[in-house]
Amino acid sequence: MILQDISLQLQAGKAKLVKELVQSAIDRGLAPEVILNDGLLAGMDVIGKKFKEGTIFVPEVLVAARAMNMGAALLKPLLVKEGIPSAGKVCIGTVKGDLHDIGKNLVKMMLESKGLEVIDLGTDVSAEDFVETAIAENCKVICCSALLTTTMDVMGEVVSLAVEKGIRRQVKIMVGGAPVTEEFCKQIGADAYTEDAASAADLALSFCQA
Amino acid sequence: MPILHWKTTQKEYRLPFEGAVTVAELLRKQGVPFPAPCGGKGTCGKCAVVLEGAVSAPNEAEKKAGCRLACQALLLGETWGSPLREDAPFAHVEGTDYRPDTPLQGISAAVDIGTTTIAVKVFDADGSPVGDASALNPQGVYAADVIGRIDAALKGHGEALQSAVIGEIQALLQQAGGGKEIASLVVTGNTAMLYLLTGRSPASIATFPFRSETLFGETWELLGKPAYLPPCMNAFVGADITCALLASGMCEKEETALLCDVGTNGEIALWKDGKLYVTSTAAGPAFEGAEVSHGCGYIPGAVDRLWVANGKLHAHTVGEKPAIGICGSGLLDAAACLLELEELDETGAMDGDFLPIAGDVTLTQKDIRALQLAKAAIAAGMEILLARAGVKEQEVVAVYLAGGFGTHLSPESAVKIGLLPRSFLGKIIPLGNAALQGACMLLGDSASEETCRSLAASAIHVELGGSADFNDAFVEHMFF
Repeated sequence: MILQDISLQLQAGKAKLVKELVQSAIDRGLAPEVILNDGLLAGMDVIGKKFKEGTIFVPEVLVAARAMNMGAALLKPLLVKEGIPSAGKVCIGTVKGDLHDIGKNLVKMMLESKGLEVIDLGTDVSAEDFVETAIAENCKVICCSALLTTTMDVMGEVVSLAVEKGIRRQVKIMVGGAPVTEEFCKQIGADAYTEDAASAADLALSFCQA
Repeated sequence: MPILHWKTTQKEYRLPFEGAVTVAELLRKQGVPFPAPCGGKGTCGKCAVVLEGAVSAPNEAEKKAGCRLACQALLLGETWGSPLREDAPFAHVEGTDYRPDTPLQGISAAVDIGTTTIAVKVFDADGSPVGDASALNPQGVYAADVIGRIDAALKGHGEALQSAVIGEIQALLQQAGGGKEIASLVVTGNTAMLYLLTGRSPASIATFPFRSETLFGETWELLGKPAYLPPCMNAFVGADITCALLASGMCEKEETALLCDVGTNGEIALWKDGKLYVTSTAAGPAFEGAEVSHGCGYIPGAVDRLWVANGKLHAHTVGEKPAIGICGSGLLDAAACLLELEELDETGAMDGDFLPIAGDVTLTQKDIRALQLAKAAIAAGMEILLARAGVKEQEVVAVYLAGGFGTHLSPESAVKIGLLPRSFLGKIIPLGNAALQGACMLLGDSASEETCRSLAASAIHVELGGSADFNDAFVEHMFF
């Protein structure tokens, strides 16, 4: 029941309430992993689906994500103590020459809502930064975002550099952003393009579990 | 060699081709003006055509669009075709009633190179108007937006883009001037348009940090005649805004005033205590009809006004023709009316997948989301510009709206959906094509030239990209 409450309050964006509910769930002795999966992530799953359908929009996703982060902050030390591994590691950024980061931040939140560990490289990120981070942090997925037609080509550079550095087999490269298409994704040899943030997170999770 | 017989309301073309080409590729190669808002990705459905003859079977993108698309249909042999809808060139010279009061150096022309439309006005040596003309910018076949054009130039189409725009200017001058020889010109446009006109590589304005190596403000030779290119302020606030400011006259007054040109790229300028603050914000193409399922330009049959009477939606179309689509001003009214009728809630959500507007024209949930992004970008840009200049929105005494969309929109609807602050009601002054008006004022007038130079040189640029306060404001303004 309390898990369902967490999920519902999270969907309503009630950050303070979510935090209180998560604390009382911990106090009642529920396993942190269960609170995370069946409470917080279950709620974000509903948000992701509604966003994909268009019934809710960016602001609702942002307030829900804020609520999730408040609750997750309480669980994090417990999860670390129990040695529960994350679902996988992903790095994300907006490519070099581009400063647009609202779409990228949405994808990041959706990735986190799948229990993935996300390294946010920010904006204006070079191909080197993407690939070096993926190597150093052992990321399974690289997510590249671009809003400008003129900066999309950096995504192709990320793919080439991953090949050059010998990590292409270990890492999946996902691309997205307004000017990006499925065809462009194929053309540069990336692994996947998704139309929205929720689909991106679903796919990234499946790549990490493969 | 097989031929595409291409017929528009203006002209008929015989276009021979070789090998497998799409209709759009052939039109572009032959320099036939044709809109392609998405740049040929098959996603916008705006290049709908009627085809008969030897063509490929409809592919997935065309099935989704429910019609043949020029960017997808492959020519296999002799074919007859025409555009499904045509953007009839409209009068894009509204608000340009300026008349030089001093004699000019011979017959002179003012030209505004808009990303979508090119408009021209010709004056006799004594300052009396000879004529005007406008047409779609033929560069539109490469991409609808500025960034797409810059990308095309960087991918080797720079010369083609340059000759396309010069060719169209030449044709318009001929049309507007009745064949009279023109002695000198003033040619305005946004920074990227002037780059492409002069054949300069736009590499430096293509990506962050968007540094323009030149801001023009110089005389260049166009068609063998001297053409003055007014100064730009930066990579994304161009000579068209400098000219619009000149036309508004707002920088000659003491009062605090704002000027906004709402388009794919929204440029905003604020005048306060002798200081000029400028910014630009990417609104996306929703206001121009692209990325909206039934969206179109301000063309005959476009729903341009809507209102609620007796609890029902009523629509007006351009030229009172049967509704074929909805343009920017109609989209604003539609959202305002649907909010009033509670068909939309303040988060922008609707029940069901779409709402009927007029005839077969509907709005989908996705269309409303595109509008929310566009209006939030403008509203947030305005908020941050005012904040950085330390001006409260209530202190703004006059709000000048430049450009076609700004001129046709309903201020009440703009306020209702949150595109403009409520305190702006009653202060809005539509300018029409203020860029062209400003260019007319510059003809042979060195004092206006000096005004433009000092405005452009002193403009304080407010950068929005990547700033946290802009992102927060952007999200806050997404709801209605």
